[in-house]
Amino acid sequence: MKNIVIGRFIPGNSFLYKMDPRTKIIALIILMISAFVLRGFMNMFIALGLILLLLLLGRINIIRVIRGLKPLMFLLLFTFTFQILFNETGPVLIVFEQEASWTLHYSWLNILAVVGVVFFWFFTRRFVRFRLLYLVATLVGSIALLINLQLGYVFNTGDLTIHQNAVETGFFIMMRLIIIVTLSTILTLTTKPTDLNLGLESVLKPLKYIRINTEEMAMIIAIALRYIPTLLDEANKIMLAQASRGVDFSEGKMKDKVMQIVSLLVPMFIISFKRSDELANAMEARCFVPGNPRTRLHQLAWTYADTITIIISLMALASVITLRVVGINV
Amino acid sequence: MAIKFNRVDFKYQGFDNKGYLALSNINVSINAEGEFITLIGETGSGKTTLVQHMNALLTPTSGNVTIFGLKIDQENIKKKKFRLNPIRQKVGLVFQFPEYQLFEETVLKDIMFGPKNYGVDEATARERAIKMIKVVGLDESYLDRSPFNLSGGEKKRVSIAGILAMEPDILILDEPTSGLDPLGRDALLRVFNDIHQKLNKTIIVITHDMNTVYEYAKRVLVMRDSYLVYDGDPHTLFSKKNIENWNLDIPDIINLLHHLEKDFNITFPKQPQNVDELLTMIEEVAK
Repeated sequence: MKNIVIGRFIPGNSFLYKMDPRTKIIALIILMISAFVLRGFMNMFIALGLILLLLLLGRINIIRVIRGLKPLMFLLLFTFTFQILFNETGPVLIVFEQEASWTLHYSWLNILAVVGVVFFWFFTRRFVRFRLLYLVATLVGSIALLINLQLGYVFNTGDLTIHQNAVETGFFIMMRLIIIVTLSTILTLTTKPTDLNLGLESVLKPLKYIRINTEEMAMIIAIALRYIPTLLDEANKIMLAQASRGVDFSEGKMKDKVMQIVSLLVPMFIISFKRSDELANAMEARCFVPGNPRTRLHQLAWTYADTITIIISLMALASVITLRVVGINV
Repeated sequence: MAIKFNRVDFKYQGFDNKGYLALSNINVSINAEGEFITLIGETGSGKTTLVQHMNALLTPTSGNVTIFGLKIDQENIKKKKFRLNPIRQKVGLVFQFPEYQLFEETVLKDIMFGPKNYGVDEATARERAIKMIKVVGLDESYLDRSPFNLSGGEKKRVSIAGILAMEPDILILDEPTSGLDPLGRDALLRVFNDIHQKLNKTIIVITHDMNTVYEYAKRVLVMRDSYLVYDGDPHTLFSKKNIENWNLDIPDIINLLHHLEKDFNITFPKQPQNVDELLTMIEEVAK
């Protein structure tokens, strides 16, 4: 539970910490757009390398960032597999159709068998040490099942072909997601929630002209970010309290599981509501009036380093666009 | 020995990789029968962490805790099929804030939740709930109410009843009397004392109230900066000179005794256990 990295600030001191939050937010947006414009294997790896360099220079623990990426792994593998199986555009990269044994057989019983395998994976994955490997093995196993089994009426057959576009698109989606999540993790790891709030508020200021109250939005976001660790700690305490009443969170039947989750969620809700009520009272006691103009204790200061950062990010965007326009999609 | 701590260290893992040392080198044994222990110490000294080790909610970073014959350390905890749940039935722990455990629609269901988790059937669980709600000083009309519409003190009592209904061998209470009025506090402490005396069960109470310590405890554990600095009877503790160094104060009755001895030059034969005893002693001296 404590491994959740997204949205957590970790104290440190490097140039990333000293940077103005506005710069970081704007640079993040620019770099995210660049990541989407970028094409080509080589380019992607260069971009990833640059991000690794940024992590090194910013003295951020890379293992920590990777750990934060872990929950994404499932999504990444899933999209990649689906791209490979169903994207049938572009030149054929690998053909298995010459050999008859590589033909996929779609029949209801076959599909049922695959669903069974997936369910088996879902319930047994907890007991396996190398979960990622297990997931890959399951996916490969399912495809193998479709190839080898011919149960019942086969209503459709398809050859297992891998197209170039499928590999490319799958790979690009994966890389882009990794790049984006890493970049946003850098932002939240190195920026205090209060600073992030200030930065967001001033970046979103133009929205005022279309009658969106940015100050309130920034406040909502700041409070939400602030309470993530608090609520996690509370959840942990509730788990301990219920564990001492005999709730076993690691074991138990499906029916018990529901009750366990209820015993966790109800106090969680009650405590959250109570907390928000108390917070509202505390804010009111300090004369907080929504929408009123306020002064700040900490003013954001724009420095040369910030200008340079923005220029570098813009240069990155410009070069990426140039690459795309010129057509160097290596 | 029901619970035995053997050179226990515990570190809360932080993000700076250093962690916060909450327990260092704790060695203590607790019997399953006949003990009334109070655990005192300033806030942040590791009291709650210590009691959370007693029913295996936390695992020592180094060293081991043996609870009813089950050895809990880093190695054993990783084993599959290592079941901690039975321990938690034997060692009942009531948390400081009742909000963390109340969740059912009615008080009755909430009290029945614990026993039912340990395979007690519906009827017996109900019986126990009805019995325990009276034990903690509420009446049966509370059983149908929602636990969220109770006052702080009532919630506290319901949460205690929820643990009592599991019929643990050792009962641990984390500041059970905070947020209670003086009358309710005394009543509840008497309940614990009754359980202790009638059923001969071990009770461990975390408290900040020295009067409670003096009046009820047979044994006192004092925590300070993650170390266990005192383990013994309350009389010896409060006759120590350097007790203020541990951020503890002296019970009112001892304070009064000291003043009487100093200002009137009287020497009392022994330390009185409670106000009545002090009164008879003063009467004897006055004669």
